[in-house]
Amino acid sequence: MDTMKLEIVTPHGQIFSGDVKSATFPGAEGEFGVLPEHASLVSLLEAGVIEIEKADGNVDSIVIDSGYVKVDENKTLVVVEGAVPIVGETESDMARAIKEAKELIKKASNSDFAIANVEAKVETAAKTRF
Amino acid sequence: MANLKEIKLQINSVKGTQKTTRAMKLVSQAKLKRAEELAKRSRIYAQKLDELVSEIAYEINTSKVGGAESRFVQADLPVRTVDMIVITADKGLCGGFNITTLKTTLRMLKEYKEKRVAVRLRIVGRKAIDFLKYNGIEMTDEIIGLSASPDYKQAAEFIDQSLMDFAGGKTDRVILIYNGFKNMLTQEQRVLQLMPVDISTVEPRELKSTIEYEPEEQEELLNTLLRKYAEYSMYYGLLDSLAAEHSARMQAMDNATNNASERVNELTVAYNKARQESITTELIEIISGVEALK
Repeated sequence: MDTMKLEIVTPHGQIFSGDVKSATFPGAEGEFGVLPEHASLVSLLEAGVIEIEKADGNVDSIVIDSGYVKVDENKTLVVVEGAVPIVGETESDMARAIKEAKELIKKASNSDFAIANVEAKVETAAKTRF
Repeated sequence: MANLKEIKLQINSVKGTQKTTRAMKLVSQAKLKRAEELAKRSRIYAQKLDELVSEIAYEINTSKVGGAESRFVQADLPVRTVDMIVITADKGLCGGFNITTLKTTLRMLKEYKEKRVAVRLRIVGRKAIDFLKYNGIEMTDEIIGLSASPDYKQAAEFIDQSLMDFAGGKTDRVILIYNGFKNMLTQEQRVLQLMPVDISTVEPRELKSTIEYEPEEQEELLNTLLRKYAEYSMYYGLLDSLAAEHSARMQAMDNATNNASERVNELTVAYNKARQESITTELIEIISGVEALK
């Protein structure tokens, strides 16, 4: 099996659901990647970026503030408080998403290092799209 | 003639009532839209949180891995005291909405009494409080106003009390009862077991690995997750209940408005009949008077 199911939900609805090749999460004890057939794991998530490599090879980035992830062999479930996906058809849409994401992260974290880290990641993600 | 006047008065009073019921229907319709939207957005989150927590609880129960010492996930806890949280509306005039929940509550109270289990009632909503007070049933806690305007913080405070008592061993089970929104026409009675986490909903499956926790103080992680779960379940219950209340009221008021129209029609017929009758009587009187003079 080379893909796993991934679901991300927030109190405002579901923001991602589908088969993915891999995903990277901002765990409380450091960033970690998850591949299909990963052992069961429950982890606290901190403010940061979830990077998802979709079945077609494209990478999606989603900025989150805090939450939980439960990984098991074939399914990964993420519940987060707030999330902003870095997507957009046009450059202005993208710019708006980035701005929202930065606001979210500033509200959620008080570590300058974490904020800078997320901002850098978001901008790289945005650049690779255009 | 007195009869005519009486009927006229009655028609006016029914029309007045109809105005009220129609207005109430419109108000509920508007409020329902908002409440439904709010409930709909939170539904997925509540469901997934439920799934997440019950799966963890299932895995802990099946393989007895870390966290099994937590009271929150012990499925086979002996039950001596039950905390029952009941949500009803603050206002009536919404058909059987409140009564259904109260009937379920009474039924469960009876069942627990037969099993010699003590029950603590924690009530949200004026209707249930009034009902239970009238029937002389004791309540541990009551709150008014929360079901009309659900607020996460208040809901969390309310449920935290239950969680603390549960964690401290004062209670052995926490149950949430309310009437939920199914669609515009029907409400659904929901009875949820919040604590210990209900694992009967999880599909049994083979576990290949035990769970790892990160950060490793799993107790803390589990406790915050479980608290979040209970708080959100409570909050979602309130939202769901509010949407259901408005849909029930809308329907009840729609029926009332229709009944009022019917009643007005009946009364108008009666009024016309009475008027015709009085005219006929008058005519007969005049004619027979004229006849007598001949």
